[in-house]
Amino acid sequence: MMKILNRLPAAIWPRFHRNHDEHLNPYYTFQDYRQTWGMTIFILMMTALVPLVVMTLIYYQLIETSINTESLLRTERLASNARRAVTFFLEERLAALTFTVNEMDYDQLTDPGHLSEVLRNLKLGFGGLTDLSVIADTGTQVTYAGPFNLEGKDYSNQPWFMECQQHNACVSEIFSGYRDVPHIVVAVKSMRPDGRFFVLRATLETERLIQTLSSYNTGEHADIFLVNRNGLLQTPSQFYEGESHHMNIALPAYSDRTRAMMSVDRNGQPILIGYAFIDTAIAPTSFILMVVKQKAGMMKVWLDLRSNINWFLGVSAVIIAIVITLTSTVMVNQIFQADRQKAETMVAAERNCQLASIGQLAAGVAHEINNPLALINETAGYVKDLFTIKQQYKEDPDLIEHVDSIIDAVERCGTITRQLLGFARRFDVQTQPIDLRDMVADVINFHKKEAEYRNIAIHVDIPETIPLIETDRGKLQQIILNLVNNAFQAIDDGCFLDVRAEMVGPEQVRLSIRDNGCGISEDHLNKVFEPFFTTKKEGQGTGLGLSITYGLVQKLHGNITVQSKRGQGTTFVVTLPVQIKKENQS
Amino acid sequence: MKHFDLLIVDDEQRYADMLAKRLGLRSLTCKVCYDGRTAIDIIGKESFSVVILDLRLPDFYGTEVLIRIKQCRPETAVIILTGHGTEKDREQCMACGAHSFMNKPLDIDRLVAMMARIKERSS
Repeated sequence: MMKILNRLPAAIWPRFHRNHDEHLNPYYTFQDYRQTWGMTIFILMMTALVPLVVMTLIYYQLIETSINTESLLRTERLASNARRAVTFFLEERLAALTFTVNEMDYDQLTDPGHLSEVLRNLKLGFGGLTDLSVIADTGTQVTYAGPFNLEGKDYSNQPWFMECQQHNACVSEIFSGYRDVPHIVVAVKSMRPDGRFFVLRATLETERLIQTLSSYNTGEHADIFLVNRNGLLQTPSQFYEGESHHMNIALPAYSDRTRAMMSVDRNGQPILIGYAFIDTAIAPTSFILMVVKQKAGMMKVWLDLRSNINWFLGVSAVIIAIVITLTSTVMVNQIFQADRQKAETMVAAERNCQLASIGQLAAGVAHEINNPLALINETAGYVKDLFTIKQQYKEDPDLIEHVDSIIDAVERCGTITRQLLGFARRFDVQTQPIDLRDMVADVINFHKKEAEYRNIAIHVDIPETIPLIETDRGKLQQIILNLVNNAFQAIDDGCFLDVRAEMVGPEQVRLSIRDNGCGISEDHLNKVFEPFFTTKKEGQGTGLGLSITYGLVQKLHGNITVQSKRGQGTTFVVTLPVQIKKENQS
Repeated sequence: MKHFDLLIVDDEQRYADMLAKRLGLRSLTCKVCYDGRTAIDIIGKESFSVVILDLRLPDFYGTEVLIRIKQCRPETAVIILTGHGTEKDREQCMACGAHSFMNKPLDIDRLVAMMARIKERSS
């Protein structure tokens, strides 16, 4: 547990976020670990979350479409059922009146006692009737049976009476009329034997109609009511009553069958409207049946479910994001640590190689100085001998010659010391103009003796047209030294080493170091720049020389390639910029 | 024919000459040559009690000359005198029959003493 807690800060803010070891940069596999980390997280997030979100959205769309379709269908079915009920209510009563006028003649119906008897029977048989009256063709009420005394009233100007004259039957809108109580008039026309007509009129209670409609009202978000064709409410509406008893939603267009549609109420809330224009078989009516449902109410269950799904999705996304971030951070950090370790090893190896070069140099210098020193020793010893053994003094030309010999040997030592100091200065990291010819000559000079002993021919061909190149002296010297060393190790006595330089365009110079030694097999050719790769016997080579050379060439913004054939020799080609751009210097 | 006490083989001419002169002052007659091939030729013709031999010669490595000398004149004592002798060189030379292995710069008194001992032993 403590181990996990200790690793937590590194997982949240790993080391690659604060990588300031710029000297390791040339050896890293990935140059920008923060970018790599960001890209990894981004790609993993996209791969994991985009399909999840897209599928959820598609699922929402499908569910919503299917709910809408189902809701429209159910609203239409409800409107259709309610329409049938209202139509049946009106047709039943119209049919009763038609039966009465066909069964009884005018004289029977105008008998008040008889009419009252008929009303009582109709009430028993059908119910919902308030009164019954017979109206003559002049519009005057002749006989009345019911609770109000309306005998002698003139209905000739009433719209329902005029309609009844035209269509033989009529159903009025709901109105208050003479009795000041909302009611519906249904009436049928019949002919008298003398050719005149009369109208049998019944008044229907609106309560029965309202009850019938209410029985179809389902749910607290649904409303069912009747309006006339001007939008005036005929039965009460729970939610949609506007000014002057008019419905406050748009009147639907005429259709001879039941329909359902989507719309919005005056607050902009989505609603479903089912409607039907009601006509009876005997007479048309001005009623429109309206079924209005609030969509939000109908969708509530789905919206609640969707809210839960959204929560689940959100929490899942957060967990996925955390897991991806932590995993990516840990993984990238592991790669970074491994890469860093490799880079540190490379830097250490480069340092070791530099030290080895200095050691090699020191050994070379010691060897070179030793010979003049031996000569000094013998010559000085001889001078001493002349004094002690031969007893000769001044004016002896032989003595002068030997003193000159001592001075000459000292001069040789001085030359070697100067070279040593010059070489040491070349480890400076600053760029400076360098004459490639001088540098190659310096390096070859270190191998001159060995070349003489081993009878190795060294050809240097660096044209004078090669300009001074602006680069790091120490690193370039080490590159050339390493490659020449490498060639010397690869070639047998009597072989040759060829060092050439040429310009590649105006900005680059190409240095080729070719030998006719043992060469490198094809299998090994692509591995020669890998660290610790060596074909030498254990303990004889570290396998770092060429990989360090590779790193140094990269540091100088150049590149190095190798071509080789087994038994025919090897050519290393180093291409370097004539001038390292200042902003690119590391 | 003049008999020389010793042969000096060294590619550094002035060093070889100087050493010869110093030994000459100490009553030791020296012949000097500057490469391996000449040394082997001389050894084939003349006998020396001591050969002072450098390891790095322009044509042969010192050990090769040493082997030839020992093949031709096993009685000759060969003193290796080199400027940069390693332990490995020393072991190799001693294995090939060198009398002793000395590094430059040289202590001449030590060399003279050593030659006196060789002379004493051979006589």
